[in-house]
Amino acid sequence: MDSEVLFLFLQQGIASGIVSGSVYALLALAIVMIFKTSEVPNFAQGEVFMVAAYAALFLIVFYGLPMWVVIPAALLFTVAGMMLFEAGILRRVKKALGEPVNLVIATLGLSFLLRGLVRQTGLGDTPRSFPSLVSTDPVQIGQAMLTRLDLAIVGTAVAVMAAVFLLFNFTRAGRAMRALGMNPKAAALVGIDIRRTHAFVWGLSGLVSAISALLIAPKILMTPEMGHVAILAFAAAIVGGFNSLPGAVLGGFIIGIAENLVGLFVSASAIVVTPFLAIMAVLVLRPQGLLGGRPQMRKV
Amino acid sequence: MGMRSVRAALLGGVLAMAGGLTALAQEVGVTPDRVRIGMFAPLSGPSAAYGQDVLNAARMWFDKINREGGIHGRQIEAVVEDDRCNANDLVAAVKKLVEQSNVFALNGGSCSAAVVAASDYVVRNRVPLVMLNASGDGALFPPNDYIYGAFSISQHAAGGSAVEFAARHFNARRIAYVNHDDAYGAWNLNAAKFQAERRGAGLNVQSISPNITDVTAPMVRLRAANPEVLVIMTYARPAALIIRKAMELGYRGPIVVAVNATADLRQMVANGGGPEAFRNVYIQEVLADLPGSARLQWVYDMYRQAYPQLASQEGRPQVYMPYGLPSAMSVTRALEAAGPELTREKFLAALQGLDFDSGVMAGPIRFGPRNRAAQQAAIYIKYDGATMERVPGSFASDWRFE
Repeated sequence: MDSEVLFLFLQQGIASGIVSGSVYALLALAIVMIFKTSEVPNFAQGEVFMVAAYAALFLIVFYGLPMWVVIPAALLFTVAGMMLFEAGILRRVKKALGEPVNLVIATLGLSFLLRGLVRQTGLGDTPRSFPSLVSTDPVQIGQAMLTRLDLAIVGTAVAVMAAVFLLFNFTRAGRAMRALGMNPKAAALVGIDIRRTHAFVWGLSGLVSAISALLIAPKILMTPEMGHVAILAFAAAIVGGFNSLPGAVLGGFIIGIAENLVGLFVSASAIVVTPFLAIMAVLVLRPQGLLGGRPQMRKV
Repeated sequence: MGMRSVRAALLGGVLAMAGGLTALAQEVGVTPDRVRIGMFAPLSGPSAAYGQDVLNAARMWFDKINREGGIHGRQIEAVVEDDRCNANDLVAAVKKLVEQSNVFALNGGSCSAAVVAASDYVVRNRVPLVMLNASGDGALFPPNDYIYGAFSISQHAAGGSAVEFAARHFNARRIAYVNHDDAYGAWNLNAAKFQAERRGAGLNVQSISPNITDVTAPMVRLRAANPEVLVIMTYARPAALIIRKAMELGYRGPIVVAVNATADLRQMVANGGGPEAFRNVYIQEVLADLPGSARLQWVYDMYRQAYPQLASQEGRPQVYMPYGLPSAMSVTRALEAAGPELTREKFLAALQGLDFDSGVMAGPIRFGPRNRAAQQAAIYIKYDGATMERVPGSFASDWRFE
C-alpha cells in the first residue's frame, strides 16, 4: 500500500467512523441512561429505534404527511410508547417479582412484539428508503469523501449529546435522575418522585433513540431488522463504561472509527467482528470500561 | 405342446404378470392412472414472493399436461405443502410428503438454504427431488443421484456469468466484485474467479456481511483499485447501498447487478439513489428475454388463463413466476422418458439425460452424469431506472464441478 492510499484510507476511516460513531453514541447514551437509573439493560432499544423510523415512514407512505409533522409525531410516539412500557409493564413486573432477570426478559419480549407489529403494517420486509431532509451531495474534507447528510448527522448528534449533558448536569430533572441512579431509596427520602423520574428517563431514552433513527434511516435503508444496530451501541456502552454517559459517547466514536479503519486496512468481512474484539479487549484490560467508575461493592 | 408345457407356460405368464403388478404396486406414489408429485414452496410469510407464483406456474404446467391426457395414461396429482422459506418447516413438509402423502417424487424449494437442509433426508430415502427456483448449490455440488435444481441459475453460474459479461461486453481487465461473506458468496465467487482467470481479468473482491449498514470501507477500497466494471452479487439491500455509495464516491463506470437483487426494481431505484445513480447500471436476468417481451408473452398469457382472479390482483404475477415452468417441464419430460413402467430409478436416469430449450430461460436446461445444475446462462439488460434495453446475446459461466 503506497502512502497516498494509506492517507486516503486513514482520513476516510476517521471521517466515516465519526459519522456512524455519532449514531452509535446516541443509541449508547439511550441505553446507558436507562441502565444507570433502572439497572436494566434494555434489549429492545434497537427495536425502539426501528419503530421510530417506521412510525415516520408509515405517516409518510399511508397519510402523505409533510416532514414537519412526521418528525415531531414520530418522536412523540416513541417517547409515549417508552413511558407507557415503563409504567404499564416494567413497573408491574417489578412489583410482581422484582428480579432483574424478569425485567430483562420483559424488554426482550418488547423487542419481539415491536418487530412483529412492524411486519403487520404493510411495509413488510422489503428494504425501504427514508427521505432525507438534507441532500446527499458529496463533500470533500481533505481526501475523505462525505455527504451533506453525513455532516448533518454529526452536527445533530453532537447537539443532542450536548443537550443531554446540560440536562443531566444543570437541571432539576437531571439531578433527580442522577440521584435515582446513585441511590433510589435516598432519592425518595429527599422528595424525588421515583415513578415520575423513571418514566422521564424511559421517555428521554426513547426520544434519543428516535432522533438517532431518523438521522441514520436515510443512510442505511429500513427493514424490521435494522434494530441490530443496537448491538453496536451495546458494544459502545461496554467499551465506554456501562454506567458512564460520556463513556457511551466515547465508546460510540471508538466503535465507529475502529469499524471503518478495520474495513479499510484489514478486510470488509472483518468489520462485523471489530466491535466484539473491542469488547473483549476492554473486558480484559479495563472491565469497568474506559470512563466507567471503579467497580463498586454492594451490600446484599 | 403337451398339457404339462401349457400349464407351465400359463403359470409362468401368471407369475410374470403378478411380478409386474407387484413392481408397479410397490412403486410409491404411482398407480396405473396417477402419479403423485409432492410440491413445496414458501406460500406464506415474508418470503412468499419467492415461491407462490413459481409454484402456481409449475402447477399450471402439470394441469396443461393433464388436460392433454397425462403421461403414459397417468394424470399428475400434485400434493402441496407450505415451507415458509424456513429450513425446519421445509424439512417437515418434505417428511410429510414422503411419509404421509407417499409421493413418487418431490418438486419444490424456492429458498436455497432451506432446501439444502432437506438434502440428507431426500438422499437417505432415495426420493427424487427436482427443485423449483432455488439455486441450491449446496445440494447440487458435489452431485448426488437424487437432487436436481438451479432452473433459474446456480450461484456458481450467476457469478461466472456476471464476470463473463464484464470481461466480454466491456472488455474489462480490472473488475471490482462485491459478494457476501456467506455460503452464497463463496459459491458465486468460486466461479467468478474461474471465469476471470479464463478471460485474463483481475478480480478485486470485497466480501461483505449481508447485514452491513455502512458500505463506505469496502467501496473506498474498490474505488482505490480504479475498476473498469463493478459487479454486485449481493442481496437487494446491500446492492442498493453499494449503488448509492458508488455515486457518492464519483464512480461512473458500468455497474452489473446480479439477479439476487432484482426482485423489486422500482424499490431498488428508490433505495439506490434514484435515476441519477442508474445511468450506467446493467441487471442480470435469467429469463430468455425481457420480462413481458413478445418471446415470453405465452408464459404470462398461460398464467392469466390459469389464474384469472389472481392475475387481476396488483403485483401479479410475481417477478419469479416463469421460473416454475422449466422445473415442471423437467418433471414431465422425465416422466415421459421413463416410460410406462415408471420407477424412481428410471425417472432419475431420464432426468440425468435431459437437454432441452424451455423457451423460458436464458440457456438450455441441461443435466449430465456430473451435472445437476440445469441452467448456466444469463442475459443482461441496461436499466436506467425506467426503461430496459437488452444487451444482445447471452453470457454463460464456464465453471463446472470437478
